[in-house]
Amino acid sequence: MQLNINGEAVEVTAGVGDLLLWVLRDELGLIGTRFGCGAGICGACTVHVDGVATRSCITPLALVEGKAVRTIEGMAGRTEDGELVLHALQQAFIDEQTPQCAWCMSGQIMTAAAFLAANPTPTEEEIVEAMADNYCRCGCYTRIKRAVAKAATVASPAANRYQQEVTA
Amino acid sequence: MSTAQNPNQPDAQQLSAQQPDVQQPAGETKRRWRPTRRGFLIGAGVTGGLLALGITVGVPYARLQIAGTLDGAEGQPASFPEDPWAWFEVLPDSRIRLYLTKVEMGQGVHTSLAQVAADELGIEWDDLDVVMATTARELGNAITSGSNSVSGTFTPLREASATLMAMLRTEAAAQLGVAATVLQIDGRGFAVQGEPSQRIDFAAVVAAKQDEWEVPAEAVALKDASEFRYIGQSLPRRDFVAKLTGQAVYGYDARIDGMKYGAVARPPTYNGVLKSAETGAVGEMAGVRKVVIADDFAGVVADTRSQAQAAAAQLAVTWEPGRLWQQAELEEMVTVGNGDAFTIQSEGDAGGTLRGETSLAAEYRTPMAVHAHLEAQAALADVRPEAVRVWCSTQAQSSVRTAVAKALAVDEKSVEVIPTFVGGGFGRKVGDEVAIEAARLSQAAGVPVHVGWTRTEDMRYGYFRPLTHHRLAARLDAAGNITAIEHRQASGDVAFDFLPNFLATVMGADFGAYRGALIRYAVPNKQTIAYRTPLPIRTGWWRGLGLLANIFAVESFMDELAHQAGADPLAFRLRHLDDSIPGQARLKAVLNAAAELGGWGTPPPAGRARGIACCLDVDTAVAMVAEVSVDAAAGRIRVHHVAAAMDPGLVVNPDGARAQVEGNIMWGVGSALIEELTIKDGQVEAANFDRYPLLTMKEAPDVEVVLLEAGDGRPRGVGEPPIGPVAAAIANAVFAQTGARLRQLPMNSARVKAALA
Repeated sequence: MQLNINGEAVEVTAGVGDLLLWVLRDELGLIGTRFGCGAGICGACTVHVDGVATRSCITPLALVEGKAVRTIEGMAGRTEDGELVLHALQQAFIDEQTPQCAWCMSGQIMTAAAFLAANPTPTEEEIVEAMADNYCRCGCYTRIKRAVAKAATVASPAANRYQQEVTA
Repeated sequence: MSTAQNPNQPDAQQLSAQQPDVQQPAGETKRRWRPTRRGFLIGAGVTGGLLALGITVGVPYARLQIAGTLDGAEGQPASFPEDPWAWFEVLPDSRIRLYLTKVEMGQGVHTSLAQVAADELGIEWDDLDVVMATTARELGNAITSGSNSVSGTFTPLREASATLMAMLRTEAAAQLGVAATVLQIDGRGFAVQGEPSQRIDFAAVVAAKQDEWEVPAEAVALKDASEFRYIGQSLPRRDFVAKLTGQAVYGYDARIDGMKYGAVARPPTYNGVLKSAETGAVGEMAGVRKVVIADDFAGVVADTRSQAQAAAAQLAVTWEPGRLWQQAELEEMVTVGNGDAFTIQSEGDAGGTLRGETSLAAEYRTPMAVHAHLEAQAALADVRPEAVRVWCSTQAQSSVRTAVAKALAVDEKSVEVIPTFVGGGFGRKVGDEVAIEAARLSQAAGVPVHVGWTRTEDMRYGYFRPLTHHRLAARLDAAGNITAIEHRQASGDVAFDFLPNFLATVMGADFGAYRGALIRYAVPNKQTIAYRTPLPIRTGWWRGLGLLANIFAVESFMDELAHQAGADPLAFRLRHLDDSIPGQARLKAVLNAAAELGGWGTPPPAGRARGIACCLDVDTAVAMVAEVSVDAAAGRIRVHHVAAAMDPGLVVNPDGARAQVEGNIMWGVGSALIEELTIKDGQVEAANFDRYPLLTMKEAPDVEVVLLEAGDGRPRGVGEPPIGPVAAAIANAVFAQTGARLRQLPMNSARVKAALA
């Protein structure tokens, strides 16, 4: 079947009952979407489906057919001469030196991106509420909170493009 | 590794330019090492074009790894491996590459060790490349654990860096026909002072070298701390661009062409043993390539992970379940008085003094806990007749290599383990189970096989932090000072499950179990007695080992004594610390610093109270002030704020050290309030995070950290010590707020309600 991943049409051999997480990782090689619990609890596998933060470990392909899937690999942009332009969240997570092992970080960023697209000027309480279902076992919570707050205040070309896309 | 067919993927070249922390290419030619002066190794036979200088650390370091408990004991190995744990190469573009055997599992070790090396090399930050070494070069006992990656390697790494640069300088001077003293480092080479046109790149020096490299006869002087450019700076982590763009490869991500997926049948009980297994119809299931049934093992290889897992679950397996242990039985086992007792601290006559009169006695309990790293155990094995390669998320690549060789009955030299980035280790990724499973399935199926555990496998079939039980007793004099104190603690094994039996016999007490148990205060009569109470459920390495449990007991009891003496908990601790005793002055300093940061002595916000606790672990001093509120009706403790002070000696990367304190505090809060692994009918009750939830951002406290430095220029560990005081600081704050003393972890809703009733 055909999927729309990070703005490109992609043909996969997997079927409608297969889970999006394993199709992304094992068939398409998009390893940036991480496996954590397989039960939709920890948030490590979070991707966007039509801009909505979605747990790919419990999402069969049938639910994403005809929809736009975005993964962590689709977050950074490129300048005309090919230079990597990080998404505002990716840059903020670096600025705040947020991760430790970083296994959960793709999910943190995807959750935060969908949240900020819907609420570009969040309060601290709103950030905590939005991020509370994403585990970080290394315990980087204070830095994740800071980085999300910072990204909300920093505009980058990639972030603008991305936010226009998902809110369009 | 095959690359992803991803239109949006940043190209690898650009990433690696920004992100030098890449893995060593697999399958590199093995290098032989030529031992030379003062424990250095030089890559053998590599004149004309390549210089590699390696370092061994020998006996002192090996001793450090096992906490000094082997000193003077019988059975100490006669010699330690001569294999290097780190080495350098001068690259063709004159950058210098540092190969490390310490894995990057979130602690930032590839950045902090690069800082140490770059200072003695004297080169620019971007001219030092850092890579993870595979086991192709005979690493000896490579392991990343015990908070000693920086503290144990700081001096040898500096010596190696300085020696390498001295060798290059001497050779460059000879080639330029000038005195070595007139050369200064200029970018990626040397230039003559005052004549910048007269210069030579490092690679050119190496390429033109005619005879064999020799280490200088005299030890090379190390830089004074005032000359450090990198040590002491919060340099950014080198691995974050790759990790935040989804490009970093962990064990669960390892991929090679032609690989299949494996899964293994699991028993319904923790100690279940395979009696028999039959393929049945599983061989006909979609995608199944091979069903593997051995005496002790049944597994499946299939085209996809889901197919493999579904097929493994369908295998007709008969299990011998073993005894159906219940939680209450395990708690009864781990009780002071049971098992073999070992006196591990004895000063004065605590027993005699306490027999006369005891002012206060109390007991404490802590539960089992799981590591819950979010990257479950994972390995990819490619077993071929001529060679075996294993990509693995591991803290212990050398022991994985040994275990895989043994499981496959092949020569260890034919096995290469390629450590990947590690998505959380915390002691659990010292294990080798998943690598063995992948290797056995690959060997049987004749194709590369990846095995990635499910969350249920990871939660139920590993090893755990053991149950502990503590009895403390003390006597106070008329002035409210402690004249005698005794700590009796019982614990399941921690280190002993991983050591040969003869070592357990020699050591007696398990140093992992009693970590943090000793009384560090200046008290004339004190003793600590450890009761070894092994459990029928495997227990072992978990962040800080016994530290969290023991400090919870000792520092809660100190608070109880302060209350009994009518003293302020901070003042009470300070007056039981003696400036003239090593470590105690530093404990005083961190207590005072944490108190100041946490507002000790000032009124807390309405409805809140503060508690304080401290510990000295791997010679790092830590103190914390926790500010909590208690919702009595819900039985809920909320930790609002933790102020922490830590003195780890010399701080290599302050921001990285702070991150370790923050992470340890979150671990401590989770263990204090939430985490409890229980056994029912011989099986771990929880199968996923629904029954074993972790701390979330909602429960996470705000954290402030202040770093102190002992001033002796020597770094100590930071990865575990800050977990020590967290639970006690919270329990002490809860007592200050409510007058109720919680002596059992976790302090969950039921226990808080019971304590307040």
